[in-house]
Amino acid sequence: MTKTMPEKKPKSKTKEPLKTAKKVTITPQPTPPEPSPTPPIQNVEEKTSASKIAEAAPIKAHEFDPHFKYEISKMHGGENLKQCFQCGTCTSDCPIARFSDTYRPRQIIRMAQLGLKDRVLSSDTLWLCAACFTCTDRCPQGVEVASVIRILRNAAVERGVIPPIFKELSSSILESGIAYRIPELRLKKREQIGLPPLPKSNPEAMEKLANATGFSKTLKKGEQT
Amino acid sequence: MTTPEQSSSSKFLLFLGCAIPYRVSSYEISTRKVLAKLGIELVEMPEYNCCGLPIDPVSHEMLLTLAARNLCLAEQQGLNMVALCPGCAGTLRKVNKKLKENKELKEKINGYLKDTGLEFKGTIEVKHLLQLLAEDVGIEKIKNAVKKPLTNIQVTEHSGCHVSRPIEGVGFDNPENPQILKNLIEATGARYVEYTDKIACCGAPIAGVNDRIPLQLSREKLGHVRDAGAQALITVCPFCHMMFDTNQPRIERMFNESFKIPVLHYPQLLGLAIGFSPEEMDLKGLRVDPTQIVSQVFGKAEGN
Amino acid sequence: MTEEKPRIGVFICHCGLNIAGVIDVKEVAEYAKTLPDVFYTKDNRYTCADPGQDEIRKAIKEHRLNRVVVAACSPRMHEPTFRKTCAEANLNPFFFEMANIREFSSWCHPSTPKEATEKAKEIVKMAVAKARLLRPLKEIEVPVTNKALVIGGGIAGINSALDLAEMGFKVYLLEKTESIGGHMAQLDKTFPTLDCSICIEGPKMVDVGRHPNIEIVSYADLVDVSGFVGNFKVKIRKNPRYIIHEDCTGCGECKEVCPIEYPNEWDMNMGVRKAISVPFEQSVPLVYTINMDHCIECYKCVDACGARQAINFDQKPEEIELEVGTIIVATGFDIYLPYDDPLYGYGKYDNVITALEFERLILAAGPTGGKVIRASDGEKPHSVAFIQCVGSRNLKKYEYCSGFCCMYALKNAILLKEKYKDDVEVYLLYMDMRTPFKGYEEFYRRARNLGITFIRGRASHILEDPETKNLVIRAEDMTLGQPIELPAEMVVLCTAAIPKSDAGDMARILNLSRGTDGFFMESHPKLKPLDTPADGIFLAGACQAPKDIPYSVSQGSGAAARAATILSKPKWKIEPIVAVVDPEKCRNTKVKCGICAERCPYGAIEAPEKQPAKVLTAMCHGCGTCVAECPADAITQNHFTDEQIFAQIEKALEENPEGKILGFLCNWCCYAGADLAGTSRFEYPPLIRPIRVMCSGRVDRDFVLDAFRRGAGMVLVGACHLPYDCHYISGNARMKTRMDALAPMLEKLGLSPQRFRVEYVSAAEGLKFAELMKEMATQMKELGLEKIKAENAKLKPILDRMLAKKEQKAQQ
Repeated sequence: MTKTMPEKKPKSKTKEPLKTAKKVTITPQPTPPEPSPTPPIQNVEEKTSASKIAEAAPIKAHEFDPHFKYEISKMHGGENLKQCFQCGTCTSDCPIARFSDTYRPRQIIRMAQLGLKDRVLSSDTLWLCAACFTCTDRCPQGVEVASVIRILRNAAVERGVIPPIFKELSSSILESGIAYRIPELRLKKREQIGLPPLPKSNPEAMEKLANATGFSKTLKKGEQT
Repeated sequence: MTTPEQSSSSKFLLFLGCAIPYRVSSYEISTRKVLAKLGIELVEMPEYNCCGLPIDPVSHEMLLTLAARNLCLAEQQGLNMVALCPGCAGTLRKVNKKLKENKELKEKINGYLKDTGLEFKGTIEVKHLLQLLAEDVGIEKIKNAVKKPLTNIQVTEHSGCHVSRPIEGVGFDNPENPQILKNLIEATGARYVEYTDKIACCGAPIAGVNDRIPLQLSREKLGHVRDAGAQALITVCPFCHMMFDTNQPRIERMFNESFKIPVLHYPQLLGLAIGFSPEEMDLKGLRVDPTQIVSQVFGKAEGN
Repeated sequence: MTEEKPRIGVFICHCGLNIAGVIDVKEVAEYAKTLPDVFYTKDNRYTCADPGQDEIRKAIKEHRLNRVVVAACSPRMHEPTFRKTCAEANLNPFFFEMANIREFSSWCHPSTPKEATEKAKEIVKMAVAKARLLRPLKEIEVPVTNKALVIGGGIAGINSALDLAEMGFKVYLLEKTESIGGHMAQLDKTFPTLDCSICIEGPKMVDVGRHPNIEIVSYADLVDVSGFVGNFKVKIRKNPRYIIHEDCTGCGECKEVCPIEYPNEWDMNMGVRKAISVPFEQSVPLVYTINMDHCIECYKCVDACGARQAINFDQKPEEIELEVGTIIVATGFDIYLPYDDPLYGYGKYDNVITALEFERLILAAGPTGGKVIRASDGEKPHSVAFIQCVGSRNLKKYEYCSGFCCMYALKNAILLKEKYKDDVEVYLLYMDMRTPFKGYEEFYRRARNLGITFIRGRASHILEDPETKNLVIRAEDMTLGQPIELPAEMVVLCTAAIPKSDAGDMARILNLSRGTDGFFMESHPKLKPLDTPADGIFLAGACQAPKDIPYSVSQGSGAAARAATILSKPKWKIEPIVAVVDPEKCRNTKVKCGICAERCPYGAIEAPEKQPAKVLTAMCHGCGTCVAECPADAITQNHFTDEQIFAQIEKALEENPEGKILGFLCNWCCYAGADLAGTSRFEYPPLIRPIRVMCSGRVDRDFVLDAFRRGAGMVLVGACHLPYDCHYISGNARMKTRMDALAPMLEKLGLSPQRFRVEYVSAAEGLKFAELMKEMATQMKELGLEKIKAENAKLKPILDRMLAKKEQKAQQ
């Protein structure tokens, strides 16, 4: 599967489907069309990961923020953060950790417990969680590990850290209500094979909700990076 | 481990989500035909939006709100929802449960929704296709509908993560020892084999940030599937399906392996057993060639 | 009806400067003189000291006082002291009442001496009001049967039985299974000494069997217990062994010829026993048993037994009744068998076993003769992994730590290593190593020295290779920070120690409470770890919480000592603060009521059909719940009568009621917590007027209604924390139900909800009580006097009507 760079065009508010169709081949063969072009995937592990603690500098006094754990504990899903007693169950069967040198959910929880805000929120491996919830189901102390990681991700986004794929998905949802812009040809194909038309989406509602929840503001922070 | 929920038993709103209409229409096509045959009426939603799961890492509030909006739209129709994608199903179920149980949260989300003229009341339920088949159709009915038992083939499953995790939020089947899809597969007459790490995730959710790990994960799984002697892998999730089917040639190239394991959506498998033709089940929509297994099903000479 | 008019003496204590430093003691004394029926007042520097007590005794004689009120510290401090003083002056000790003006006034209102003094005056007024209505009470004496029952023949029960027997008491040792010994007899060696377990326990078991004062009742179940301390009647059902106990010599010839084998539970079902057999060779009593589920009645055993004729197939279950004075519960624990956890594969994978099964493997007398072999191929494993905390420390399973598993895992690992040396690689996967006691840390060092590999990381998942049946354990080695897949040919799961499966039945029969972890609850975890709320019933050993052998032995002896304090007396005194039913008023005679019998936490009330309810005095603990629950007001509680409490309410709210908080505080928790607030000198506004009750269950809803009728600003009911802290088991729960029904009604009638509070304060929560007082004072201020008066005015006629019915009945 080849990845192609989308043409750089200014953000438009119209519902035009992505017109990069010239790179997308709709072959007469019955194979599904290539997925719509996404920016090149940046493999987040190649950069320095905060979990490579042995290589990074020792943790200094000013890095500890004792209030951080209380802030997280107040949010939905983060209530039991303080109960983690670092047993390693979450990491031991984590499907991602088994294939990664640096992703360790237990260490992320540890950094949150210690209040190493900068380290954990700027960590790249924070974005490697697949939200499969195996850790959450197995934690013997009821820590919702995947939820804590989600809370940390949300916090990172508030600081302006947001991987490109999420920017894409967010803007697509804002503009069309759904995560992927479906090409016109696809919609015609539905008609041809007798599938009912897709339900309507409602971008005005999306905008209202994005404003009400503060999502639009959050996204703007991401644009600065 | 499931307690059957109250449902309207034969009429459901269909929640398609974002991925299926975009890339995985064979799942939709086969499901519509099979459910119609089994007496389930699928009603189109007049309006919907993304369930919110893809942007949960960015804003959990947005996930709650987007999911709640869908639930409100369903409540307006007065029907329960069925979702084909476990990500959607799981998200909608969890948010439904949370808002029903937590008054404060419900008030907050309703506050966001007010401007759009919607209010969450908590009157409907959401199920994934598997739950609908297990509870509202029932194994007996499925067994009775099977005209052509698939006794010639042996297959296995990858039911994925969001169908049953987290146990607290979704509350369906036992993710550590899933039985439902196994029972449904066996109901078609096909033989079922176990394989190592059956319950491990496929890695698809992070395919957007890292293209090595999910492929390694899926490669290992495909290896175990092959070692167990399964002739096909059955999925119930568009992303798992894309991981194992659409990506299979890439995995083979990347790691110098040969799997050639067709990946079918469960409705496709059931459809074949019920008597639909491979064309009707849109088997041509699959990337990994299912010709061999199809011919086995229909008893043609092997190695076709 | 009192024979003579009350002549009350009030003694105000300075308590050095503790009281006098804040309160104007003289003013209080002057004030007390003005109260009706008070004939004598005196202020003392230290009333509890000898001179102070002398004064009281003198005054009683000289002034013919028949009631005494001491205004000083908390009754929880010196009530017993002054009761004795009265008794020494030939005044019934229950004519004494204490007014708490130290913890409840001077110590907690130091910056407001005027208000503190006013409060002290009112507290004295309330105490005098109650004193007027006090009645003489006699301590109840019950005879004591000087025999004991020990339930459970494990190491704790064995020690209890031996100690009591040595003291000279007759002991019945009830054991459910065929032999005493318990889990200790199943073990190979014991940590940290690595003594052979049965070698050290065996002689003790034989001592028990031989002791003239101990009667072992084995293979028998507890059916019922009735009665009360000193006088228990115990029903036991002896199950048929089909062997005549006295005639069986334990020779074992019957076993040799028996053709039937079945899995031996003693060997964790890894070995077999014959249909006629003993569970293990050192059984005490050494009497055989036939398992009729497996016996084919071939009668070969009868032939082998020959002339002794000890076998009797016609044996039936036999019910016997014992009379004992005390009961010691030493029923022990079970272990968790993780069949329900698919992640560990127990029950599915051949080579995953629990630690107790490992004990039976490595034991020389076990089913494999001491060879540790795998079930899959009978071969010795070259690598064994011990996994800690299976089921323990897990919110989803058993929250607690089972205490001895770290040590027994070390023990088994050491035994394994010492037996097979470098031939076996031993791993131990743990979260924490808990080795606190004598010799335990050294034991841990011994294990490390042998080359046992310790991996810090909780195993989450075990996978099996279908061909070799070898296992792979997924865990994270936290010290490396890497997830690992550890290969092992055998896995030993160190599972949680759990309450015995019949703990529920035992609790029901004996009226024991169980904690959230399912183990039996002691009266106080620190100071009374062996007592239970049921007088005369004690706990020993792992049935109270998982523990190792030395701790169990100590508790066994401790329970014996506790039991002996009762058994060694010919008579046992019971405090007379009990409930009494007025048979005339009881409506069980007319309709089917029995509410008191149902609600009593101790089952101390009988309400037979068409007859008035009757309180079994010796079983009554004096909580007063039945008094409040009785719909006919037919029950009173000695020393805490309705009359007395209404009098206290009246006096408390005589002046300026709207500015007061009337508090009903339970003696054991809330009152104690309030005392602690005073002791800790936590200051709070002096608005509360406290009424002490033994249990919050005593607080009748009519008390609350009367308080508001009289214009109380706020009413507080203070209780022990739910669900387990109530010292009378469930009084607080009854109170909650009662008040949960009352509060909405009052709110509907126009009462602001913050004026009626039900709060839970433990004896340790002094600060919480002080904060609560501050909070209620602030709320009262926010409401404002006008609003309170207005609400009261609206409520009064309604409450008058509601209470009129009660007052009418009282006059009848």
